[in-house]
Amino acid sequence: MKKTNQSLIDDLTEDLQPIHPVLPRQGLLWVAAAALATLVLVVLLLGVWEGVTSGRASAFFFITNGMLAALGGGAAWTVVHMANPQVGNSARPTLWSTLLLAIIPASAIITETAHGRMDEVITDVHGFACAMQGIAFGMITAGALIFWLRRGAPVSLVAAGTLTGFAAGAIGSFAYGLSCPFDSLGHLAIWHCIPVGFCALAGRFAVPKLIRW
Amino acid sequence: MQQDEPTLAGLMAAAQMGDRAAYRTLLKEVQRWLERYFRRRVAPQQLDDLVQEVMLAMHNKRATWDSSRAFLPWLAAIARYRWLDHLRGHYRAPEKPLDDADYAAPGEEDALHARLSLDRLLAQLPDKQRSVIDLVKISGLSVAEAAARTGQSESLVKINVHRGLKRLTSLVEKAN
Repeated sequence: MKKTNQSLIDDLTEDLQPIHPVLPRQGLLWVAAAALATLVLVVLLLGVWEGVTSGRASAFFFITNGMLAALGGGAAWTVVHMANPQVGNSARPTLWSTLLLAIIPASAIITETAHGRMDEVITDVHGFACAMQGIAFGMITAGALIFWLRRGAPVSLVAAGTLTGFAAGAIGSFAYGLSCPFDSLGHLAIWHCIPVGFCALAGRFAVPKLIRW
Repeated sequence: MQQDEPTLAGLMAAAQMGDRAAYRTLLKEVQRWLERYFRRRVAPQQLDDLVQEVMLAMHNKRATWDSSRAFLPWLAAIARYRWLDHLRGHYRAPEKPLDDADYAAPGEEDALHARLSLDRLLAQLPDKQRSVIDLVKISGLSVAEAAARTGQSESLVKINVHRGLKRLTSLVEKAN
């Protein structure tokens, strides 16, 4: 850089225009709109499973999807705030939410293995399709968060990328989950949680390149 | 002018609304703050470049400062991000090692500055990684010179620089 500090200050001052601050509440509205669009798309394309509306779905169904929604919302909230540079560990709440969610697959693995049903869970013919659809529906949220991060100035690229994946996977899986009629613990704990882990991993490696500034 | 948080925040809020006089004053204060912030962490010959890089980044991303939050942590987060980029970059040129006269007096740092200090990040690295990052990335020695000075092989110096920078990035991630 050849300019002197003074000439740079002159240039930057000359270039100054009023701007609208990039506020987290705008980002939250943006992401909420993306999540709502995901839900609408699921309802239009797949419909809502009758067990949800009648309340007859299993407790595992409501617990798993409730935790997915909470994790997705919390991670998205964190990512939106990461667009504004700051000091302070904002990713920790998401870590705790993820650990809470991890209780579900851990419980499933323990109990299904103990009952000799783990093979059935893994070879579940609907499982792979559920995971793929959860991931696909998560792309809407991922796109919204990446757009927001690009508008901002994230200074923790890897954390922002990973959390974007958590949010996208969790919201996508939650939205798709409302249409899925399989409500056993094994199915929900494995195939509906896989999108979260997969998207987090993908976000960890793919998103930083997209949001670097 | 005193570089106090409320004054800087007030100037930044005015700058976001297009007040050029306030912005000019702010930039001068920011320049001084950054010089002090980076003085011990980059070679003197690179100080101006890095300060200007951060000022440019601050200008381009000025919309991301939220007036309901403090200004200096926002600036420090951008400065630290750019500093890590600077360390990672292949900018190395034959530089003379820093001598004591190049360092700021330790008593200058105020509480906030100490909290945000880059030294705290470096201090968390293992000795072998910290010493080679200091020698190669900050003092500007070659890998061979750093190897001779630390007794590590050249390959080990490269590995320790690489691992140290990776760990620094991870520490910043955690701190943010």
